[in-house]
Amino acid sequence: MPRYELSLILKAMQRPETAATLRRTVETLMERGAVVRDLENLGERLLPYKMTKHNEKHIRGTYFLVDFYAAPKILEGLLDHLHRDVDVVRPAVLKKDEQAPKANCCVPEQ
Amino acid sequence: MLCVRRLRSLKTALYVSVNPGSRSLTSEIIQMENPYKEPQKGCTLCNVTVDFKNIQLLSQFVSPHTGRIYGRHITGLCGIKQKEVSKAIKKAHSLGFMSVTHKHPQFMKDPNICGIKHLD
Repeated sequence: MPRYELSLILKAMQRPETAATLRRTVETLMERGAVVRDLENLGERLLPYKMTKHNEKHIRGTYFLVDFYAAPKILEGLLDHLHRDVDVVRPAVLKKDEQAPKANCCVPEQ
Repeated sequence: MLCVRRLRSLKTALYVSVNPGSRSLTSEIIQMENPYKEPQKGCTLCNVTVDFKNIQLLSQFVSPHTGRIYGRHITGLCGIKQKEVSKAIKKAHSLGFMSVTHKHPQFMKDPNICGIKHLD
């Protein structure tokens, strides 16, 4: 199964609510047959610009990164579900590159 | 007749006699790599993976006043890396990791990689 990365920006909330949102998200992933590999917390910080979502202007947010393996057909449904979640400000699913970067990329032409 | 003799004597005087037994330099050229060859220089991001999450690295290639991405003639990166950096910065903009119109004030004091001098 291809490997994906979910970059999640959650609303600035108290710890138990953030935990509940994360739990909900991971459970949704697992229900749709994804295998969650890693969950990283990139911390709560000031957003680079004000984001409007669900009729609310967000200035601060918590950044999370979820690594998972999933079938490609669940992604559309998953993104739709995440966009409808009130606590999520900006969800994004990206494909993860399995290959290592090329070693001789910067060989100057002669 | 006399001039022919003189010419012949001149020829024998000027002609350098080569010992038939010795080897001349031109017959054997030793092939070797250029000993003065300098090691190949890559660009500054030669073996560095570029990621959209690494905003500190990406902010080094962005103007502190306007947040615009510097061109190849300023960053000094090779074609592949410049494209990767550009794509990563745009991805970071759209995913909400990096600001579009300015550079994060936390990264203003970072060392200058790009060959550009700001007037302030």
